[in-house]
Parts: sequence; C-alpha cells; structure tokens
Amino acid sequence: MMEKRFALVACNGGCRNESCAYGCLGCGVCVSVCPAEAIALNESGVAEVDETRCLGCGACADACPQEIIRLHEGANPIVVMCSNRDPGKAARAACEVSCIGCGICEKVCPSGAAKVTDNLSAIDEELCLSCGMCAVKCPRYAIRDLRGVLTSRS
Amino acid sequence: MATFYVNGNPVTVQKNQTLLRFLRDELHLTSVKDGCSEGACGACTVLIDGEPCRACVPRTDNLEGRHVLTVEGLSDFEKQLYTYAYGEAGAVQCGFCIPGMVLCTKALLDKVADPTEEQIRYAIRNNYCRCTGYVKIIRAIELAAKLKKTGVIPAPSETSWKLGSSVHRLDVEEKVLGYGKYPDDWYLPNMTYGSAVRSQYPRARVLDIDAEKARALPGVVAVITAKDIPGENKVGHIKHDQYSLIPIGGLTHWLGDPIALVVAEDQETLEKAKKLVKVAYEPLPPVHGPEEAKAPDAPKVFDEEENNVQAYKHVSRGDAAGAIARSKYVIEKHFETPWTEHAFLEPECAVAYWDEDGYVRVLSTDQSSHTTLHECKLLLGSEKVRVQNQLVGGGFGGKEDMSVQHHAALITYLTGRAVKVKLSRAESLLVHPKRHPFWMDFAIGCDENGIIQGVKASVYSDTGAFASLGGPVLERACTHASGPYNYQNFEIEGTAYYTNNPPAGAFRGFGVTQTCFAIESLLNEMAEKVGISPWEIRYRNAIRPGQELPNGQIVGAETGLAETLEVIKPYYDDAVAAGKPVGLASAMKNSGVGVGLPDWGRCKLIVEEDEKVHIYAGASCIGQGLGTVLVQMVVTNTPLGRDDVVYERSNTWIAPDSGDSSGSRQTLVTGEACRRACEKLTEALKEHSLKELNGEVFYGEYLAKTDKLGADVPHPVSHVAYGYATQMCILDKKTGRIESMVAVHDVGKAVNPRSCEGQIEGGVVMSMGYALREQYPIDENCKPIDKFGRLGLFRAHEIPEIQAIVVDKPGLDVACGAIGIGEITSIPTAPAIAEAYYQLDGKRRTRLPLEDTPYERRDR
Repeated sequence: MMEKRFALVACNGGCRNESCAYGCLGCGVCVSVCPAEAIALNESGVAEVDETRCLGCGACADACPQEIIRLHEGANPIVVMCSNRDPGKAARAACEVSCIGCGICEKVCPSGAAKVTDNLSAIDEELCLSCGMCAVKCPRYAIRDLRGVLTSRS
Repeated sequence: MATFYVNGNPVTVQKNQTLLRFLRDELHLTSVKDGCSEGACGACTVLIDGEPCRACVPRTDNLEGRHVLTVEGLSDFEKQLYTYAYGEAGAVQCGFCIPGMVLCTKALLDKVADPTEEQIRYAIRNNYCRCTGYVKIIRAIELAAKLKKTGVIPAPSETSWKLGSSVHRLDVEEKVLGYGKYPDDWYLPNMTYGSAVRSQYPRARVLDIDAEKARALPGVVAVITAKDIPGENKVGHIKHDQYSLIPIGGLTHWLGDPIALVVAEDQETLEKAKKLVKVAYEPLPPVHGPEEAKAPDAPKVFDEEENNVQAYKHVSRGDAAGAIARSKYVIEKHFETPWTEHAFLEPECAVAYWDEDGYVRVLSTDQSSHTTLHECKLLLGSEKVRVQNQLVGGGFGGKEDMSVQHHAALITYLTGRAVKVKLSRAESLLVHPKRHPFWMDFAIGCDENGIIQGVKASVYSDTGAFASLGGPVLERACTHASGPYNYQNFEIEGTAYYTNNPPAGAFRGFGVTQTCFAIESLLNEMAEKVGISPWEIRYRNAIRPGQELPNGQIVGAETGLAETLEVIKPYYDDAVAAGKPVGLASAMKNSGVGVGLPDWGRCKLIVEEDEKVHIYAGASCIGQGLGTVLVQMVVTNTPLGRDDVVYERSNTWIAPDSGDSSGSRQTLVTGEACRRACEKLTEALKEHSLKELNGEVFYGEYLAKTDKLGADVPHPVSHVAYGYATQMCILDKKTGRIESMVAVHDVGKAVNPRSCEGQIEGGVVMSMGYALREQYPIDENCKPIDKFGRLGLFRAHEIPEIQAIVVDKPGLDVACGAIGIGEITSIPTAPAIAEAYYQLDGKRRTRLPLEDTPYERRDR
C-alpha cells in the first residue's frame, strides 16, 4: 500500500489546453492504455489518476505524448502538478495555476527536496518529508497535497 | 477566521496563525511538540481528517471544517493501548517524538488492521527519532496492531522491578499521552518571552549597541546588555570563556555569540524588537579552522589568550616509536572525521520566575541541574537561584553547556518577570556545542602473529568558539585511542584549537568515536596484512581481566571484551561463510568521569507523608531512563516494592549534586550512591515501618576515585570501569546497503535489558548517520548552512535489521555490577561499516562520512 508507486499527471488543468505547450492535451491516450481503468479525463478535460486503482505499471507514462505522466511514491502525497518550463511571465500567462519557478518552495523546504530547474519545481522523493510546507506556501497552487488536506481537493 | 474541530470540539480562531501555535499557545494542547516549526522533525504531528500532518505547516484560516486530532483526543482505550504497546516494546526514551509517532500509529491502524513491517516503517518515516533508532517504535506499532484487534490490554510481561527485569519505564504514560512537561510546555501567568540578538559576524569588534528603538516598541519589557550583568559575564563548566553577552569593545567569537537579550510580552513583538536592536561592528577576518588557527600569524580568537591552542594533551607509556620500528608489520595513515550535530528532538528552552521563597527558579532541560545552578549563580553574582529539571528531550552531550538557562535566569533576575527563552531550531543548530571534527595521524606496529607492539598518534581538533568540554573530549580521545587491547607501548599527542566556527564539546562518545575510527580501521587493515581475520586479530589482542591497558590500568574481573567477541563469532562466521561483505570493530568506553576528577554520586531517599520513599538525586534523566534505573536499584536493594517508591526529577535544593549525565556515568556512579542509601534505609526498615520513618532522610554518596592522567604510580586507575563492545556490519552485495548490524555489548549487569537494547539500537543508528551520511557543513562566513531536515539523519524506512545483544559479566563491586552504556553504543559502528565496504569493493576509506556508498548525499 504505502510503498507503492502511482502514476501522476503533472498538470493542474488550468490552461484549457491551448495556451500552454506543456500541459495535458486531453488526448486520452493514457486512458486507453491503462490496464486498470485508473485514469479518466476530469471536468477540466485533464487526465487524472485514481490511486486506489492504479497499478503503477507506467504504461500511461510511456504513452503520454506530452511526457507529463510519471510514477511517484504513494507515500509522498505532496506533488508538483505542473509541467510548464516557460519563464515566469510566460508561465503565468499560460495558466492560473502554473509553476512560475519563483523558488519559494525551494526556500521553505526543510529537507532540500524541492528544487527549481528550468523554471519548474520538482520534488526529490528520497529527501521529501511530505510536510507540505511547499504546497502551503506555493503562491500558484501548483504544488498539491494529493490527500486533499493541506491543499483543497480541487 | 475559521471554524474547525479540535478533538471533536468546535473552535473558532480569529487570528490566522499556524495550527501549531494555536494548539499550543491558545489551547495549551502541549502534547503537540514544537521541535522545529519548519516542517522537518515531525514532533508536532497531528491528524487532520485522519491524515498525519505537521501542525507547524497549515495556517488556521485554511482549516475551515476540518477535524484535528491530538493525543489528548484519543479514546480511553487508545490511550491505554498505545501506553501499553510503547511501554512493553521499550519504545520510549526522551519522549519528544512520541506523541507524533503515536498519531502516525493511529492513522495507520485505522486504515490497515494488519500492517506489514514495511507499512509500519513508511507510516513513521517522516517523523524523526534520535534516541531509539526506530526499532522499538516499530515493535510497539506491531504490538498495538495485535492488541487493537483483541480489544484487551494485558498485564506487562515483567512486573518485578528488580535489576535484570525489563519493566516498562516509569515515564512511558506521561510521554505517550503528552502530559509530561518539557520546559516549553509551561505557560505561566504574565510570562514574557526572551531571545538573544546574536552576532552578525563570526569575528568582529562590537563598537556600539543601540537599543533605543527596540526599547520604545510597545510590548517590549527590556533590552539587556553586558553592562547589566550583575555577576561574572563569562561562564563555562571548566574554563570560563563563554560570554553570556558580548560587551561593547569586546570581540565576537562566532555567529552565535549573544550581544543583547530582548524581552517582550509576546513572541511577535519579540521578533520585531530584535530587528530594531542596532549593533555597530568592526568586522575582522575569522579563523575558519585548525589549519588557520595554528598558523604563526593567525588572528587570535580570544583577546585574552596568547594563541589559539585551547588544549594540549600528551599521553605516553613504554616506547611506542621503538616498538613500531622493531615491528614486522607497520601501517601509517591519516584519518578525518566531521562535525556532527546532536539533533536532539527538543530544542533548548528554559523558563524562569521568582519562586515563593524569593529565588530565581529555572525550569531547565539540561544534563545537570546543579551545573546549571553554578553557572547561573556565577552570572547573577547571587546565591538566590534554584534549578529544576523538566523532561529532557534528548541531550547526547549537546545540553551540557549554557544555552538559554543562564539567559532566562538573568532576565527574571533583572526584570522580576517570568520568562521563557527558547531557541529556534536554526539557533539551536548554531548555538550548542557540536561533536569535534578530528584530523588524525596514526601508526601501528604488529608482530608476525598480529600482536600489537605499539601505537603512536598525533591528532588535532576544531573546538570552535569557546572551550566547552574541548579539553576533556581531547583527553578522552587520546586515552582511548589505543583501543581495548593488551599492549604497553603507546604514545599520542593531541591539540584542540579555538576557531570562529560554532563551538564543539560533548557528544555521545566524547572524542572516542573519532579515534576509535582510526585505530579500528588500522587494525582491520593490519589483520589483512598478517593474514588473519578482523575477528582473530581482536581476539588475540583483546584486553582480559588482570591485564594492563596501554594507559597502565590493570583491568578488573568485569572486563568482557573477549566475551563480546565470542558472542558475535557465530554471526560473523555465518556471514563470512555466506560470502557477504562483513565488517567488525570493537571499542571500550569509560563509565564515570575518571582521570582523578572528583566524580561524586549522591542520592537521598526521603520517606514522605504518603508513606513512600522518594528518590532525590541531582542527576538528569535526559531520555536514557535514569529514573527507572534508580527505582529498580531501590526495589532490588530494599524490601520495598515498586508502589512504595517515587522518582523525583533532579532539582538543586533537595536533590544532592550527583554530577552531569555525561561519561556514561549515572547508572554506575549515581546507581552506587543510591545503593548505599538503600543499605541505610533497609537497616531502618528492620525496626520501623515507612509510616514511622516519615521525614527521615537516607543519604548515600560514592566517590568514583581515580588517578589523574599521567599519575606517577605503576598502574594508574584512569576510570572505575569500562564498557566493552563489538559491532558488526553486513552489507547486501547487490544494493551495497546495510543488510544488518549486530551489536554485542558488555554492560556488567543490565539493569533493564530492554532499555539497554534501546540504547544500543539508538546508538547504532546514530552512528550509521555519522559513518554514512551526516554532515554539518560550515560556509566561508563560519555559518552552518544546513537545516535540521538536511542533516542526513536516518529515517525509519531506511534502517537495516539491528540485533542488539546484551552480555552480563559480573565482577564490578559497585552499583550491583552495572556499567553505563550510553556512549559506547555509538563508538565501534563507523569502523565496522567502513570495513564492510572494504570487503565489498576493496577501497580503504579513511574519512567520514564514507565516500562511494549508496548512502552518500547526492546533493552535496
């Protein structure tokens, strides 16, 4: 249970597909290759994983044309839900909930797990203590608590 | 504003703040411990809608409608369940992490009735524990899962309370349920908050202090500077060179040097006011390390000193150089060990107030209330001080010096107000003395059979910004550098240098963790040269009863190094036969201060109105379990039962001074004093009942008499006793990670075997960190750069199987044969691990943390 890995679609779905070159296209390829019916397109038209069904096989990650699906540790509920690598201004224009690479997550992270590279935050799961400080302090809501506790579920 | 639920009750919070501050400061739910306030440690873990979260992360405005649970809100059955399970497993030491661990346990068991060990490890993996090495916490969770299903709490498996019985420690319930008080858990009426403005430069002349703006801020009670100190500014256990406040014209010694104390009505005003204190400096070039400190034209760290040498020790017996020159096999090598941070879970905190008798009462978390008393009296120039230990959330040597206690006492003395002085985690990392980094050159000579002929060494250490216990640490590093072996040609010289780095002082192992890495690594290499196993070379050289240590001491009948080797042999042979990379190392560690210092244990047994015997010893329980040890002593050495005995925390006005919790000494030294008091009490009980004895005091004292270093006697007694150990590391060949650790320890007589195992497991895991990962990097401004969560401490999901084996060997004629175990648990670990890596890849590693292992920090 805890130690399993699950697929994560790193897109909040705030971009409505057109203005962001990095986000989920809503193409549904992941949905079609998933052997466990664990991915569906949500109300924003963005793929979303149901961790109670996900097998962690990685088929979706291999199939995603945008390369924004990756496996994350189930024990780490704090995740960056954005894949936008544009500089701050462009990233801000592309989406309401995009990572703009401001580095606040890096500054507040107590364990050195959160790092911004190419204008995008990433969390090193080996170092992460799942405290959620980055999620709470992220001004863009780009970092989320998948449990829906420290950040809201939607 | 938000409305949510805490332990089922609706609360409306007006002021947006972190959940931690609200729970502690407003609801006084003090089971929620403040260990770092930055999301790292896990001590403030609560459940929000059933999920473990650190209370220091979310702000109250974002919690609308949520359900928050603390241990105070557990059901009665859950409270009993976790108290029993954690007690039976021996999972509670200092207790600071425990409420958080308990809530992680609940969250897991609410979802999974039958968790696997891996699920348990993952459930607590975000919560740090520095005492237990997690082993017994994992066992406690397994046990809780089992009992939760049955719904029945059984009786403890052992109930006799005599020596050798693994009874539940007496402080389990208050620590599991979080009602036991650490200093930070006190909220006194009209209490103010105090904090120090610290130096902006590691080395600078203070030209001026302008506190007018700070004083003018509403809510500020006082700004105190050096000129306000009524007594002696400089404190220190041995050498008085630690400035309580740097005066105008004075030199700063490191970034932690306090310059002004700000006192305010509340914590927010305090932080604002600290920023308003303007200090003018003349920055000067700092001394970054021993290499710079020893240069002939080096800047001086202290105006008062002639140079930067803080301590120099020379130990010599026999003719080491000659013996090595005549040896068939000789190895010479250089070794280095790093700074290490204690990382106890409870940051330093003291509360002070005027008590009803007109004394400044200090509620402290430290390793000796009496030592704190001496320092505070010195600073205040007054006898009107009393110190009382509260629960101590871990020490490991890092709470021996003054950090906040003296400041709290000074504030109350000058303002008349109650005050809480607490270090933030970042301050704690900067302020308390660390483990000394050492640079060591060793040479060893052996004959064709691997018998040690002689060892010669030269070492130096960085003792940082004030002496602390730098001298004694250096001395112990030198006296134990020989290893626990039977040879008589030994010479070592050691120097400790002042620098402008943070101070270094006591740390579990007290210098021996450093030199043991060198001598044991050399011995492993020597075994290969001679063509025998690391086990064989130790067995051939092991010190045995009646033989003479390299320091000249003839060791007693209790000496059990050979036994630890015999017990570990089947494990060693099996691992070697299975082709696994395996490493071995041994160690000895003094129990008691030794080397001729007045090392007194003192204990009063007082019969009080409740017809019970109250144990008063001025000796701190810092998590190791001293209270339980003393109660077991009394139950063993008197006709009384557990229910007749009450353990009282150390204080300075009833409990007699029994020395610091340092040098693995309390079980032996205070234990013996307690035993002597028991003899008198037992005599009295022959004629009288406890009721008749009401008000009687039975006093025991014991001087652990030793000879000073270099004493001109044929066989100086350096220490009254030594503990011995052999530890072993087995690696997983495929992953290169540690598969298991086996630790065999000779403790004379184990007072509480499960507690002993807990000490061993915790010590081994702490030193796995020292061996493999922990660092305390300091930048060019002499500033430690890492936060608590980046120190590299091991987490629950990463620890290997740890087998702790306690060997009893009678022979010591004091304390019922019990030898302290606190430090030695951490000593042979690093060289055992280094040897295992050599067996894996053929690389001899001479620096810690070890390079080229899967544990190496990738982000360095």
